[in-house]
Amino acid sequence: MMSTLLVEAPAREQGLPAPAPPSSPEVKIAARNLDFFYGERQALFANSLVVYANRVTAIIGPSGCGKSTHLRVYNRMYDLYRNQRATGEVRLGGENLLAPGQDLLDLRRRVGMIFQRPTPFPLSIQENVAYGLKLYYRLRPSELMERVERALHQAALWEEVKDKLDQPGMALSGGQQQRLCIARAIAVEPEVLLLDEPTSAIDPIATARVEELLDTLKASFTLVIVTHNMQQAARVSDYTAFFFEGRIVEFGATRQIFTNPKLKQTEDYITGRFG
Amino acid sequence: MRGRSIASRRRVDHSMRLAAGCAATIGILLLGWILATVVSRGVAALSPVFFTRLPTPPGVTGGGLANAMLGTLLMTALAAVLAIPTGLMAGVYLAEYGRESRFAATVRMAANILMGVPSIISGVFVYTFLVATTGHFSGYAGAVALALIMLPLIVRTTEDMLLLVPSALREAGLALGTPRWRVTRDIVLRSASKGLLTGVLLAVARVSGETAPLLFTSLNSPYWPQRLGQPTANLTVTIFSYAMSPFRDWQSQAWGAALVVTLAVLATSLVARLFIRVKGV
Repeated sequence: MMSTLLVEAPAREQGLPAPAPPSSPEVKIAARNLDFFYGERQALFANSLVVYANRVTAIIGPSGCGKSTHLRVYNRMYDLYRNQRATGEVRLGGENLLAPGQDLLDLRRRVGMIFQRPTPFPLSIQENVAYGLKLYYRLRPSELMERVERALHQAALWEEVKDKLDQPGMALSGGQQQRLCIARAIAVEPEVLLLDEPTSAIDPIATARVEELLDTLKASFTLVIVTHNMQQAARVSDYTAFFFEGRIVEFGATRQIFTNPKLKQTEDYITGRFG
Repeated sequence: MRGRSIASRRRVDHSMRLAAGCAATIGILLLGWILATVVSRGVAALSPVFFTRLPTPPGVTGGGLANAMLGTLLMTALAAVLAIPTGLMAGVYLAEYGRESRFAATVRMAANILMGVPSIISGVFVYTFLVATTGHFSGYAGAVALALIMLPLIVRTTEDMLLLVPSALREAGLALGTPRWRVTRDIVLRSASKGLLTGVLLAVARVSGETAPLLFTSLNSPYWPQRLGQPTANLTVTIFSYAMSPFRDWQSQAWGAALVVTLAVLATSLVARLFIRVKGV
């Protein structure tokens, strides 16, 4: 019941006249003059991008154009690697998340991430979803179970796994694993969910389920999705940024980008003339 | 360009395949031969007495090698206790923390060199600081010498196994806001657990058959290993001295001991392979 309610809200929203929704949505993330370097090699050039709250923003562009690199700045994932660095400004709420004093653990509680290949931990289904919760909250077992169940419902996975919660997460199918990862990420109630080509390793039917899911999730979260599948971007997103060679070529409402791009380069890419 | 006939290429292919097949057969035949010899000669020595009694002088019947079995077990266990935690931690450092640092590169190279050091050198080395200084051979010295051989093996297999864990899994852990040490403990080590267990078991199997490092450290003893602070009985040195002796019954017991060591090592390796098999599923 709950899931149908969640589906309806965004569905109504999509029916609104495009390109611009009437009341301008709240800004969740604002990147300004973001440069990124792998060692000496510069991968992003002066990226400026606005991510609106409770909307899906798609990042598209040919391979190697910096889509994932850009996304991985939003949760400072690149910090894991010693020769990678970002300069410029990325504001989440009020604060610059590139600031030296940024608490990474707190940032990553606020900004979750889903990867190209499903990444279930070597734990049971229930433990996977509970993992993040246990990091941040001291919950009684009943509360924990309740929140695990809620997250699995939100990820549209509950019906499929409710009878086998203690089985390993790895035992699920690829598409189920990906939804398990989504459940794990949203269980801690982040503000933003980053999705790095979340469906490129799963089959078309599982892809459709994840896409449906994104539509319901944006009621509660802000979503940023990197995809090399333009139809997917057109289907799931409200805003689209077109990246090329580390620069943001064009950004706008998805409908406008796909029906009436301002730049020839964008049009060529979208119509499949290059890329 | 001169063409070569299909027939001649096929002939070369056949002869290469034959040569490789022969070489492979030689390998398996030798292993079979060794096993057959050890089993056929060793079985005669095995009896309940062999597993429960102390050795007897040559010519006196009713002797066993129970003390040597216990000694080998104790020293191998102590070596494992010393080497496994250290090796695992060092492997974790190399794979998770130091990955690209110069210090890690140095440690990695040291481990590689240490793996190539002949085991007798490990024995002589431990002799200089645990036997020469205390004035007597001891089981502790033997265990340290064995641990020295195990350590680099465990360090390197641990690193290799951890590097097999996809980096996306680490990133997924970190992306949830998990501190690095918990990612390592809950996710990386868990994912690699079967591989790690295999590596540890193979290292244990490897040292449990070592003789040279024990010659200079634990030596051997005809008594029960009551304290490891004294020369300690063990199977491999017993095989060495009994096999070299002119006495028939001792020689037979050496074969028996050889069979026990072989079976123990074989069993350990098989269990280790079993884990690899399970992992593949």
